Amino acid sequence: MAQRTSATRIAEPEPPAAAGGSGRLAFFLALLRARPSYALGYIIVGVVVLLAVLAPWVAPFDPVRASPADFLKPPGWPYLMGTDATGMDIFSRVIHAPRIDLAIALAGTLISAVVGSALGAAAGYYQTQRGVGAFASGFVMRAADVLQAFPVFVFAIAVVAVLGQSLQSIVIAVAFVNTPIYLRLMRSQVLAIRRMRYVEAAYIAGVSDLQILTRHVVTNAMAPILAQLSVNIGWAILLTAALSFIGAGVEAPTPEWGSMIAMGYQSIITGHWWPSIFPGLALALTVFGFALIGSSVEVLADPARRRALAGELEARRRLRLQARAAGAGA
Amino acid sequence: MSDRRVEGGPVLAIESLAVAFPRYGGEPVHVLRDIDLVMAPGEVVGVVGESGSGKTMLARSIMRLVPVPGRIDRGRVVFAGRDMAELDAETIRRMRGRDIAMIIANPRGELDPLETVGQQIGNVLRHHLTLDRAAIRVRTLELLRQVSIPDPERRLDAYPHELSGGMAQRVVMAIALACQPRFIISDDATSGLDVTVQAQVLELMRKLVVERGTSLLFITRDIGITAHFCDRVAVLFAGEIVEIAPRHAFFADPRHPYAILLLAAYAQNERLRRYWLGDTTAGAAEGPATTGCPFARRCVRAQDRCRAEHPRLEEMAPGHFARCHFPVER
Amino acid sequence: MQLLAYIGRRLLFVAPQLVGILLVSFLLLKLIPGDPAVMMLGPFATDDGLARLRQELGLDRTILEQFLIYLGNVVQGDLGTSWQTTLPVTTDLAQRFPATLELVTLALLLALAIGVPLGIAGARYKRGVLRTTADYYGLFAGALPDFWFGLVLIFVFYTLLQVVPPPLGRLDYAILPPATVTGSLLIDSALAGNWQALRNAAGHLILPVATLGLINAGPILKMTQSTMERMLESDFSRYAEMCGLPDRVVARKALRNALPSIVTIVSVLYGFLIGGAVLVEIVFSWGGAGQYAVGGVLNADLNPVLGFVLYSAILSLVIYLLVDLIYFAIDPRTR
Repeated sequence: MAQRTSATRIAEPEPPAAAGGSGRLAFFLALLRARPSYALGYIIVGVVVLLAVLAPWVAPFDPVRASPADFLKPPGWPYLMGTDATGMDIFSRVIHAPRIDLAIALAGTLISAVVGSALGAAAGYYQTQRGVGAFASGFVMRAADVLQAFPVFVFAIAVVAVLGQSLQSIVIAVAFVNTPIYLRLMRSQVLAIRRMRYVEAAYIAGVSDLQILTRHVVTNAMAPILAQLSVNIGWAILLTAALSFIGAGVEAPTPEWGSMIAMGYQSIITGHWWPSIFPGLALALTVFGFALIGSSVEVLADPARRRALAGELEARRRLRLQARAAGAGA
Repeated sequence: MSDRRVEGGPVLAIESLAVAFPRYGGEPVHVLRDIDLVMAPGEVVGVVGESGSGKTMLARSIMRLVPVPGRIDRGRVVFAGRDMAELDAETIRRMRGRDIAMIIANPRGELDPLETVGQQIGNVLRHHLTLDRAAIRVRTLELLRQVSIPDPERRLDAYPHELSGGMAQRVVMAIALACQPRFIISDDATSGLDVTVQAQVLELMRKLVVERGTSLLFITRDIGITAHFCDRVAVLFAGEIVEIAPRHAFFADPRHPYAILLLAAYAQNERLRRYWLGDTTAGAAEGPATTGCPFARRCVRAQDRCRAEHPRLEEMAPGHFARCHFPVER
Repeated sequence: MQLLAYIGRRLLFVAPQLVGILLVSFLLLKLIPGDPAVMMLGPFATDDGLARLRQELGLDRTILEQFLIYLGNVVQGDLGTSWQTTLPVTTDLAQRFPATLELVTLALLLALAIGVPLGIAGARYKRGVLRTTADYYGLFAGALPDFWFGLVLIFVFYTLLQVVPPPLGRLDYAILPPATVTGSLLIDSALAGNWQALRNAAGHLILPVATLGLINAGPILKMTQSTMERMLESDFSRYAEMCGLPDRVVARKALRNALPSIVTIVSVLYGFLIGGAVLVEIVFSWGGAGQYAVGGVLNADLNPVLGFVLYSAILSLVIYLLVDLIYFAIDPRTR
């Protein structure tokens, strides 16, 4: 009985003061109203995802068709963002790029999150026990240390070089580079939770190890991992673009923001700014959008901040009602 | 304009004070309701309450440090004849530490970990009184001796983490006394200390009150301590004062069931203890009841009227007030 | 004395860590497809020639043997030769590593100068222009791709406004570089009294430093702001308010307590940028160490990469040691 109460009380994150499904949605929308920057983030990412899906139907031109006669035309009609040195329409390429960038970033980040969390949970769980488990956990941690001591960028390029240049190898490089983050995050969560008494109580009461792990660890660790994920996806897109810029990532003429910037590199010095500037702007805006979403998740996931936010939203709501009443009265 | 007026009137007068925190999608939560308290110079009033009764909020309201988003909803706090709501922020800031001082619980957690004892006492002296460096050092040593800290010269250079619990508590007292304030609030200052240390600290406080005529608001969770040296005792429950009386009258003839419950823990009579302590369940964690007496849920004597009608503070005997429909008679 | 013992103990652990890093790098790099002998001699080499070269390079032995040979050389100060530059790696790095260090150090100083004050302002004010600026800058700066931003700056300040020298390395070809003392062009020029070189080097540094500095101010700002917010809400800040201390005193105490976090993030950024500045180095043709290493990976030229990994690992370890010493100085609880 005591085990069940304590488990439910601590394992579930505190819901907002107005409980119930519609309550959460209303709370979320109120948050977006109060913090327009978060709303901006969701809108940006929403647009990018839409473009990734609908690009072939929305783009005015074929993104890989070169019309050599129309090279380096400035933005105007019909080339909204101008053309690059080989005559490809930049606008079409810019809106096609999210398909590749987003796919790689999502795949790489999700793989690293799942693998890293699993390894981290195991490492934390077997840490102080003797035998094979403890040795393996120690080994995993030392491996993560060495991995992180390696210059990140050089490592990513090396992975792509080893596996051959392809989309899969970029995904794997991104996954490798990000795994230690989730590993450490999950491990510290597991270690913290292990120390809590009620987990000991559950263990003594005979609840199986796996049950303890999944119920308590997963629910408590979810919040920081989700926040990390959003920011990570943005960073993974940057890494993909960077790899492509150097030539160790997505190969031309596949539309990808990084390789587009690289292709426009020479033109910028001679004053043709549009082949490089537009893709970079799109890239920056997208990563920015993910960062904003990450911030909003951070606030929503932390019970203390959520409570403070709830107070503020309520105060605003009352002010609005008061103003409306005063306006109606006058 | 001097704000250290000496008067014959009460040093502190709280009238109908209410403090509320907004809650999203619902009514604001009142952590303090309808508080009336008048204190004369040199008087010691003990306030007893459990966690969540609002005692810390009471201390903070007097110092005008209610944490946002909470605010003082109703009523006023008049200190030395001046309504604090009418003073500007800078005046109030100067009053803190100089005219009103607070001694807190958990002193080691509240002292700045990066500054020495001498520096922290010196800060208060420097910003409230105009003393030069030499005078500050002299006064600091004097204060450390007053609170019975042995070997004060050495302690000047000690950091908070190097002090024991009792030592840190004394340092905090020294800081509170530095500017010889007229009013001191002790917020749960003796909890967490060893019994012997507790006794020493209480003795110190009593000595200071007697020698300087300082008024002391002594907030605590332990009703037994108030028997030590309080002139009056007040009991706080769910944000309201439910009983207040001169010390002798309170201990000889308590009226409110909650006050008796607190005293029953010390009672020698087994039958009495079983009667009062037997049926109580832990239900106080939820918010106060919206109608009727907030204690009705836990009261062994509760009747229908108690659940329907909110009781007001009534005078039982000269200076002895209780908030109950069916107060206990001897 | 206690301090020296601590440093000594730390240094003792350095050697095995370095060996571990080198081993992993070695194994990883050996996996990269590409036969160095073929690449060095070209497509018209004879089989005999290739075999002889392979034997010279030690490529006919087992991986482990090759690693041990390499390790033995490293201990003697020989990091091998780069077949691309045909120079010893130590010579190449002696020129390139300081270039990267100068760039990264100046960039981080700029990032601190922007990020810390804005972060403090962002923590103190709940709303207003400063707060909004801090919030947006913190997020947006970190989202900017540094290679793209460098291009934008080049376009604006070189192509359009023509106020900076062309983005081709650290110094104009026509200028005589000063004698190498530290490797930093600014310091060496000043030491030699060569003011022309100093001005020219500074001119070339402006844009790349601005690129890295403005972008990395973002994470520093965010860390400063979130730590300051936490400190301002912590018990000791509330207590300082209770004692009636003025706002600026409360803020100063909070900042002092926030320093360890700021120091940490600067050290993390430092370690990251040594290799992470490679894109900016490429855009500005800087001739830095990151560029050198990337060239090595892309062309299966192992020695430069291993040399770079070794240098940057040593640098990271030195930085971590320095950071811990700084913690000692700031926080009495660590002593």
